Parts: sequence; structure tokens; C-alpha cells
Amino acid sequence: MKISVNWLKEYIPVTHTVEEMANKISLTGIESSPVHNAEGLDKLVVGHITSIAPHPDSDHLNITTVDVGEDSDIQIVCGAPNVANDQYVIVALHGAHLPEGKRIKKGKIRGQESNGMICGLDEIGVPTKYVPEAYHNGIYVFPEVVAPGTDALTALGLDDDMVDMDITPNRADTLGMRGAAWEIGATYDEKPEYTAPSIDESKIIDSNDLTVDIENKELVPDFLVRTLKDVTVGESPLWMQRRLWNQNIQPVNNVIDAANYVMIEFGQPIQAYDLDKLEEKHITVRNAKSGEKFSTELNNQDDEENTNTILNKNDLVVAAGDQILGLAGVAGGISARVTNETKNVVLESAVYDGAAVRKAAQRHDLRGDASNRFEKGVDNGAVSDALVRATQLVDENAQASEISDELVGIATEAKPTVIKGKISHINHLMGLDLSAEEIMNIFDRLGFTAELDNDDVTVTIPTRRWDMSIEADLVEEVIRIYGYENLKGTLPTGMETAGGYSPKREFSNKLRNILLGQGMNEVTNFSLMNKKEAEDFNVINTNYTKLLHPMTEDHEYLRTSLIPGLVNNVAYNQARNNNDISVFEQARIFDRADGVDRPKEIEYIAGAISGNIALDSWNTQSKQVDFYDVKGIVEELLSFTNIDANFEYHATNKISNLHPGQTAEIIADGQSIGFIGKLHPDYQKEHSIDETFVFELNVDTLFGMEKRNVQAKTAPKYPSISRDLAILVNKDIESGAIVKDIFDNGGKYLIDVNIFDVYQGVNIKANHKSLGYHLVFQNPEDTLTDDTVEKAFDVVKDSLVQKFNVEIR
Amino acid sequence: MSLNDKLKDLRASGIDDAKRAERIQELNDLRVNLLGKKGPITKALRGMKDVPVEERPEIGTLANNVKKDIQAAIEEKMEELNRKLVAKKLEEETIDVTLPAQPRKYGTRHILNQTIEDIEEFFIGLGYRVDAGHEVEEDHYNFERLNIPQNHPARDMQDTFYLTDQLLMRTQTSAQEGRDMESHDFSKGPLKVISPGVVYRRDDDDATHSHQFHQIEGLVVDKNVSMADLKGTLEALCRHVFGADREIRFRPSYFPFTEPSVEVDVSCFNCGGEGCRICKYTGWIEVLGAGLSHPNVLEMSGIDSTVYSGIAFGLGPERFAMLKYGVNDIRDFYLNDVRFLEQFKGVN
Ligand SMILES: [Zn+2]
Repeated sequence: MKISVNWLKEYIPVTHTVEEMANKISLTGIESSPVHNAEGLDKLVVGHITSIAPHPDSDHLNITTVDVGEDSDIQIVCGAPNVANDQYVIVALHGAHLPEGKRIKKGKIRGQESNGMICGLDEIGVPTKYVPEAYHNGIYVFPEVVAPGTDALTALGLDDDMVDMDITPNRADTLGMRGAAWEIGATYDEKPEYTAPSIDESKIIDSNDLTVDIENKELVPDFLVRTLKDVTVGESPLWMQRRLWNQNIQPVNNVIDAANYVMIEFGQPIQAYDLDKLEEKHITVRNAKSGEKFSTELNNQDDEENTNTILNKNDLVVAAGDQILGLAGVAGGISARVTNETKNVVLESAVYDGAAVRKAAQRHDLRGDASNRFEKGVDNGAVSDALVRATQLVDENAQASEISDELVGIATEAKPTVIKGKISHINHLMGLDLSAEEIMNIFDRLGFTAELDNDDVTVTIPTRRWDMSIEADLVEEVIRIYGYENLKGTLPTGMETAGGYSPKREFSNKLRNILLGQGMNEVTNFSLMNKKEAEDFNVINTNYTKLLHPMTEDHEYLRTSLIPGLVNNVAYNQARNNNDISVFEQARIFDRADGVDRPKEIEYIAGAISGNIALDSWNTQSKQVDFYDVKGIVEELLSFTNIDANFEYHATNKISNLHPGQTAEIIADGQSIGFIGKLHPDYQKEHSIDETFVFELNVDTLFGMEKRNVQAKTAPKYPSISRDLAILVNKDIESGAIVKDIFDNGGKYLIDVNIFDVYQGVNIKANHKSLGYHLVFQNPEDTLTDDTVEKAFDVVKDSLVQKFNVEIR
Repeated sequence: MSLNDKLKDLRASGIDDAKRAERIQELNDLRVNLLGKKGPITKALRGMKDVPVEERPEIGTLANNVKKDIQAAIEEKMEELNRKLVAKKLEEETIDVTLPAQPRKYGTRHILNQTIEDIEEFFIGLGYRVDAGHEVEEDHYNFERLNIPQNHPARDMQDTFYLTDQLLMRTQTSAQEGRDMESHDFSKGPLKVISPGVVYRRDDDDATHSHQFHQIEGLVVDKNVSMADLKGTLEALCRHVFGADREIRFRPSYFPFTEPSVEVDVSCFNCGGEGCRICKYTGWIEVLGAGLSHPNVLEMSGIDSTVYSGIAFGLGPERFAMLKYGVNDIRDFYLNDVRFLEQFKGVN
């Protein structure tokens, strides 16, 4: 809420600039910023029209003479339809600056001298929607005599300096000027002073035309009304109007304005009704019947067709029989609206349940000043006072003949909150050592009554601070008024703790570093993907997890694989000519079992490589990535897992969207831990990407597997002996099987088998391939003899011939 | 000609020949020809028999000196030629060092993860555990246990992706607070933990909003932690991240799960507090929210709030990285253009 300095001065002395105040209030309580209005506007004065005559050469212009407080009146040509003699108006003099860089200069309009301009409020910066309806298409006319020559901006309150307080939801006590004055007063150690509202006792009668019945008492703790008879509805006095438009509220008439004014003054929304328009003289607050209709100003201004809000039974309404007077706490209706013809008025001051108001306002898209206050809470100790104040203002401005006593539909006693605390504990939580006196002084500044009994303090909180309930709230009040800037930082002391990552996080960090070491860039993708992406790589064959209310189809399903995200990264980059891409991601996938709602979150690591892994350069030739490059990366990664198992690569054609002849599932200890493969050509085409190889590994599974227990061995001192083996074998036999067989039969001295040649084609038997292996034998404890090696080599060859029908070459 | 003169002539011509040699081969030939068994010196010494006996030792010495001198001349020249040879070879081997290297690339850690890890390591140094928590969380932990019951207005501020009416994508890493508090054994010392991770909000993606982003929650619960400890901890953090000269300030704020609650500003690292575009001419930049754990939050985890207190803070790695490196669009973090990613090589 914007706090006008002029208004604030009614309650506390103000000696600082709005800049200083905004800064101080921000540091002490509520984030605030300074506001200067009407900046750059000048030479705007109040003028009194002393004569008016039609322009001889125009059917819509008038020639006026205007007293602008100078020696002689000036002539101004004016085209406004509502201009008339004896009006007090806004005059922009020659040389005046108006908003948006507009300047006024004297000149001639159709031959007639014009020495300025008579202005409407919108022309001097008030948005049209806050300008009183009567002046929407014309000049503004002051409702009372204002000395000609007076600065018009001052007369209209438009040059008011303000502090805009952006409250957090717990500090709605400052959504009224009086509450704001308490807050700012506490900041500057100034106690605000208020005049108590009062009603002309002589007009009060103790009968009432109305009865009130609250059906839903749970949601309506307070509901008070008063009626005023024989009022004269008309324009509000200027002082009230200017305070309203400065609050972005359009002045309407002296009844509705008084209600709005009290809302700003007390923070308590007031509703006004035309008593004679009530279809029954019995007001109820009840739940709406499903399908009941309701019209309000709040929703029919912009959209003529949507004048009716259809209510449902969760909506709380104020009604007179079947007539809906208003959506409780949200919006007044038009059926009993106070107009210039209204004679008898009902004023309502009530408290409605915040959550109910919030939901109703959301449901019908009708958030406004009143609902904003009810949702955050209002001071139920001020409901009655606010009603008195509204009644007083209506009476003062619209002269009632009779005023009813307060008619209580329901009232809940406003009890101050009593909080008990300990000076030592308050200090302990702040990390300060303030004296009891200092703390008591702060409570006093805030207007809290506090009693001290040794270390115990009992603080009575006025109802205007309904946010306060526990000792921690006292801590906040003390420390913020004391000043956070006076708090010296320390570090927690206490028992030593061993910080660190979880073992699993250490493990995944290690994996990540291996891939970084392989030159792969790390990426971060979204966990939420579209349906197709979720289906494209559901390799783990899990149930999808879907959002109840997604924002877009693009982010609807929880990912079951990291691959679709990586494919998007390749596509995004290759579309921008970043053709050689090597990226990985370490993140979670979501695996939901049958019959449960909650998916398991499993850490995965996955990569995608596309394009060249070596570039064409002045001394090298480019090389496109192939399966074995990626397999090399994966093997290195797996070797760093330190897992005590062999990793096997099983060819598979079962993973959709991967190449059926260039994909391997990776198995360790009989369980699948991931896969490597080339994307299917169709899938690559669909995503407009080059040949791309991907891999994905389950980090959680790898983490859970048994690790090698490394016991150091001395590096071998005895020389090794090697043998080369060339064989011819059916092309469908995998090298992996042959190597395994060589190890199985090579004896205990066989330490390594490398493949050095794979050949298929010319000079080779059809459907066969030629393979060359290099076998290394070594005895760590003794020198090997050729004889021993030869024997082992023979066993190897025999086994291969028998099992795979190989031809030894 | 006397033998004496003959030897002297041989010396003079031998040295002369050595000096004039242009190739190593010539010197080798010279050595063999002059000093070898079939060479002229050896041949000349055969005339020794004609020399009187008493003169023979003198001639012998002279002959040895002649050999030595020629040898020395050959070696000197040999060295000179070798030096020239090496110099020539080096010259021939000279390369253009400005030609491009053979790339040996190390990958670049995503800037968000670099930012997170930098902060994690800072807190690990202060004895904090790192506990990542769940991305799919129960309403209970994400809201109720943080003092945000059903219908609390704070739920409006955080539009939530629900999976069922009880399960949701966590909207804040504070969701881990309840789990950390209830599982901690306080007899083993204070609870000191940070929870980094991904959170989700029902937001439209634009330059400053993303439906998925990161947070790091920090929490210390012990018998003796205070607002002063919170301030000191965050001061140290901000100095670690934004520079040793940074100051911080607290402003009162509101979060349902802390009381008191504060917003934390750091003095502008760009202008040092003078005021600039980055700090919107205030000299301060809002970087995180924090506070003392609300007694309700402690009590709901079975912690006696009259004995224990907690400090809690939450920060956004995206915001930190955007401020620190001048990233203007949060979406850049998730587009993964390698040109964007690689510029953060080695920053942390
Ligand atoms: Zn700055």
C-alpha cells in the first residue's frame, strides 16, 4: 500500500525524505520504495471561470475568462462539453509541462486568443479509471471553492510524496493507514495519535428496520451493520477524493467513498447498500445455492456479456432473501448499489474467513482491495470502530437524519494475545545480550504492554497485530527494531561434525569426472518431457509418471531415460552448426512400479556423441565417432567404478530407436547395468541429427555392486612371453566368446589377450572372418619356459578348434 | 732433407690439411692417412736407423709431438664441423610454434553444477553433510511440515505440479528439512546439512522463470544457534562466492517455516556499493532468504523448541550464476548450447 506522507502526518511527525523513510522501513520491517508523484509537471493552477461565451467560429468551443490568481483574468478557449461559468478548474498556464512531455503554449484557436488550457484529471496524469465518472469526458471541476492561483497539483493531492510498502502476507496490519503509522512510528520511535471516531449522538435511534441472520457462523466471526436515513448522496469533499485517487480508487459518491476511505484508514473493508433496494428487510450471510447468479461492478466493466457470475454452494453471500447483495468479502453486487438517488443506506463492517474469501476470489477471478485484506486478515478489534468511522463520514458528507444503533449479526470478542517469553531466551535466539530494559523499551515503541518478572516477560499484544502469537514473534520484533545492522555475525559453535558428500554422491562425482576427462561436456536437461519422449526410450520398461495438471504437453511426463534430453541437445547444437558434440548428463530417472503412485528416483549417467572425435587439421585427418570409441569411454568409466565383476557386452536388437546391429546391453554379475548403441537411422532422421552414439548406465546399481578389495602386488620381475594366434572362424561368432575361451584354457600364466586383426572379405572363405590375437604369458614368481607356454598355447588352440570349429592359420 | 725437417714439414702440412677440411669424412681420412701405420710419419720414422743414436730420443719426441699436434688439429676441426652439423640440424628441425595444437580436451562441468559444487564444498568445510533429498515428495514434507497447512496463502506463491493429491514435484529443497530433522540423532552432535537439488514450479518458462530450477537449502539445529550465527554463516558464504570485500545485510521478511525470517542482500560486487545497473542503483543485491527455524517446524519433528533452535537458509544457484557471470536468460542454462557451456571452463 502507498503511504501518503501528508496523510501520515496526521498521526506521527514526519521529518525525513521518502527515500530515507523507504530505506529505513525496508531494513526494519517492510520492503518499501519511495514514490514521487507529478514529477516534471508545473504551471498548473486552480482557476475560477468568470465568464463564458460560445466561440464565434465553432459549434463546440467556448471562450472563457479565468481568474488564475493574477492581476487580470486570462482568456482560454475550451472544448470540453462540461465547461460552465463559475467553475473552479485546473488551468495549465502558458509554458506548463504536462505528462509525456506535452507543453502548453499560448496561441490562437480559430482566431481567438487562448492563454492556456483547462484540463481534465487524465490530462495531468491520473489514469482515467480513477477519475470520477462525471469527469471522464471533459474537464475536472473542483467540488468546492479553491483560491484561484493555488497550485493545482497540491490542491488535488497529486504531488503527495509517498512510501510504497510491499507487504509480506503476515503484515496485513499495515494495509490501513493507522496500522502503517504504528509500524513507521515504531521505526522512528514515535507513538501515533488518533482521534477516536464518533457519531452525532443526537441522531442515534435505537430501533432498526433490519434484521440480520448469520447462517454460516464459522466463516463469519463478525458482522455489524448500521443504517442511515435521508442522506443526500452526492460528490465527496475534495480532501477525501484526492486521498482515494491517490490510492488508485475511483471516487464514486459520498457513501461509497466513505466506505472505501475507511478501508484505507482502518484496513477494514466496509460495504454499503441502498436500504430501499433490499427485497426483504432481512439480511442473511449464507452459502449460495448452486447456480445462483450475481452481478458486480468488479467484473462487468470490461466485458458487457459477462455481467453475471454463476455461484456455487461453496460461495458465501450476503443476501436479502433471494437477492444477492454481495459475494461476502469479495465484491458488492449491483442490485442494492448506492446511487445518487439513494436515500437510506446500510453500512456493513464484517470479518470473513480468509481462506474462504481467497478461494472465492480465485474461483471467480475477482481479487480486489477487500478480498486482499480479508485473505490476509483484519483487526477484529477495529470492526466496530471502523463502522462508526464510516457512519460518521457518511453523516458528515451526506447529512443523515437518523442513524441506527449498531446491529450485531454476530460478534467475536477481540482478545489481545498474551505472549510469555524469557529475556534470556530471546537474547539466546538473537545471539545478543540486550538488557531487559532495552527489550522492554522496544515493546513499548511497538505499543505492546509488557510486564517483567525477573527473566520472565509477559507481553500483551494489541489486536491490530494479529500476526503475533509466540515467543519467536517477539524475537523478530525485538531484533528488527534493535536493527539487524547492529548484529555481529558469528559461526555456530558446538560439537564438531564431519561434513561431506554421501558415499553415493562421491561415487557419481567420480563417474562424472571420468567423462569430463574424456572431453565430454556436462549438460542439464529437464526432468519433465512430452509423451513421445517418455515413450522413445523407456528401456527399463517402467510405468509412466504423469503430472495431474501440466502447464504444457512438452513437460508432462517424468523422464524414464536421460537419452531423449541428450538427443535434444545434439539436435539443438547441430542445428546451430555445432556439429561435433560430446555431452553427458548425470541425473535422476523415475521408475514407477505397478500399483504404486510414487516412482523411485534412480541416478543415471548417460552420454551422446555425434560427429567427429578427431578434426581435420593441418596435421591430422578427421575421424567420425564409432561404436568402439564410445565403448572405450564406457569401459574406462566402468573400470573406475572399481566393481569386482566382469562387464559383458551382449548384442541386442531389442531397444527401440537404437540400431539393431550396433547396440549392446552391458551386463555385470548377471544384471543389466545399461547399454551402448547407435541411434536408429530413422530416429536420427526424425531429429535431423548426424550419426549419434549413446550410452546410459544405472549409477545406483553400479554403486550397490561389490567393489574390488585391492591388495598391492609387486610389479612382475620376470619377463613375459607372447604368442600370436591367427584363426579363421564363422563370421557370426563373437570375439568376446573366443577371448573368454582363450582365458578359460590358457592356464594360470596367461595374463592378457589382445586382438590385433579382424578381417573379412577378399581371400577369406565365405561367411568367415580372420581374427588375430596376441597372447601374453607371465609367471610372477619365476622365469617361464617356452615349453610351458607352448603347452598352454596348444590347449587354447585345441579348445577353439573343438568349440568353434576354427581353422588355425 | 733431415728427418727432423721432414717431420716438421709433415706437421705443418697435416695441420694445414685439417684446418682446410670441410667434412668429417675428410678428417677421418686425414687421420688414417697421416697418423696410420701406412702413413708418412710412420714411413719417415723408418729413416731413424740413419740417425745417430744420441739424436734418436730427440727425434722420437719430435715425432710424438708431431702426431699429437696433428691429432689435436683434427679433433679441433672435428668439433667445429660437428657443431656446425648440429646447428644445421636444429635449424632444419625448427617448427612454427604458432600452428594449432592437437586438441586434448577436458570437458566442461555445467555452470550450474560448478556453482552448486562450489557452495557445497564451502559448507562441507564448515562441517555440513550434503543430502540431496527427493524430487518427488509428499505434500506432507513439502508443505505441512514446513508450517504451510492446506489453504495457507503461501501455497499460492508456489504453484505446484501434483502427481496425486498427496504427491508432488517438490517446490523447494526445504522439503528435506523435516526428513533431516526427524532422522537426526542429536546425541551425536548438531544437525548440519545442506540439501541441493532440482525443484519444480508451475511457471511459464521465460527469461527469469523456469518450471525447473535448482535450490540449496541449509539447516543447522543445535542447542545454541542464533540469528548471529545465521548472519556470520551467510557472510562467510557471500564472501566466498562474491568476493572477500562483500558485506551482507538482513531485511525482515516472511516465510512460514522460519521466525524471524529475513531476506539477505549482499553489497554489490560490481560497483562495491556505489550503485549501478546490476544492483538497480541501491548498492545491494538480494541473494537469498533465511531465518530461525519456526518452533512449529522443530516441534513437528519431535525437537523441543525451548531447548533447540535452528538456522535455515535457501539460495538459488541459477540466481547466483546469473549474477556472477551476467547471464541474462535463465533458459540458457537448459538449452545446453556447447558454446554457452564451454565459456565456463575452469571458472570454479
Ligand atoms: Zn552495483
